Amino acid sequence: MNDDLLNILSNSNKDIDNQLLMDYLSGKLSAEKSHEVEKMMADNDLFNDAMEGLQQIRNKKDIQTYVEQLNRDLQKNLTKKRQRREKRKLKEGPWGYVAAIVIIMLCIAAYYVVKKVLAAHGYPHS
Amino acid sequence: MKTVNHDPNNHITDQELLDRFYADGKKEWLGILLSRYTLLLFGVCMKYLKQEEEAKDCVQQIFVKIIIELPKYRVTYFKSWIYTIARNHCLMKLRDQHGRKVELSENMLADWDDASGKNRHLEKDRLLELMGESLEELGEEQKRCILLFYLEKRSYQEIVDVTGYTLMQVKSYIQNGKRNLKLLIERKTSKT
Repeated sequence: MNDDLLNILSNSNKDIDNQLLMDYLSGKLSAEKSHEVEKMMADNDLFNDAMEGLQQIRNKKDIQTYVEQLNRDLQKNLTKKRQRREKRKLKEGPWGYVAAIVIIMLCIAAYYVVKKVLAAHGYPHS
Repeated sequence: MKTVNHDPNNHITDQELLDRFYADGKKEWLGILLSRYTLLLFGVCMKYLKQEEEAKDCVQQIFVKIIIELPKYRVTYFKSWIYTIARNHCLMKLRDQHGRKVELSENMLADWDDASGKNRHLEKDRLLELMGESLEELGEEQKRCILLFYLEKRSYQEIVDVTGYTLMQVKSYIQNGKRNLKLLIERKTSKT
């Protein structure tokens, strides 16, 4: 029995080659390369579902446009979140510390003022 | 014609990107990793939703979900995980839209349970022997397509040409044949 048959039990965990998938969809691949993609599809449900879905799109050029749009939005989304976080840090960061220090200093000052006033009035009684 | 932009981070594997993200929490790694899956996610959404605009919206929602969920726990099998998230999201959308009763398995990851892992303890010779026996038990069409695909490494189109089956039939014989083979082998090993 040929060892290749053991591949039936394997699950593909190859990293994605998007260009290869697009070429497959456009029918540009040789029989050997097509088999390579189809093997990934047979071994992995993600590849299989994705290729079945992509095959439904008539104009294959649209796929590239959609993917580019989605990637742009993704990057925007990630950068927006980062910028928002940095802005918040900048807004909250130094002022929070400054406020805390001012409050502590006021407390210390108040303590000494009260102590002095009390001493001036003869408190505590000795 | 080049249709997909070249990824300048091609030398970094998915796993490395994931590890880097978990190490320093930088979203840049996530951006690179997710953009590799945009095409596949769009395809999965198309398969379930059938509408291009709807599929695009769905991919965006899946991205948001992943960005929120991924830092919460350590994901080991990213490809399986992302597929589960995408598929569940699409099925939920379908259910919301059409009130269609879609069965959502809570343990969907079991679908991607590495079948070879279950058989890992078996020796190769024994496995080949079981494979031979199980192949004989398959239906003629499934057996023929499986042999042409896995043994002779033929493409779907070549198998169509050789057998006269339709493309859909070939795909289905290979998928079902593969599943049946796994079941048969599991049954045989559980008996021994």
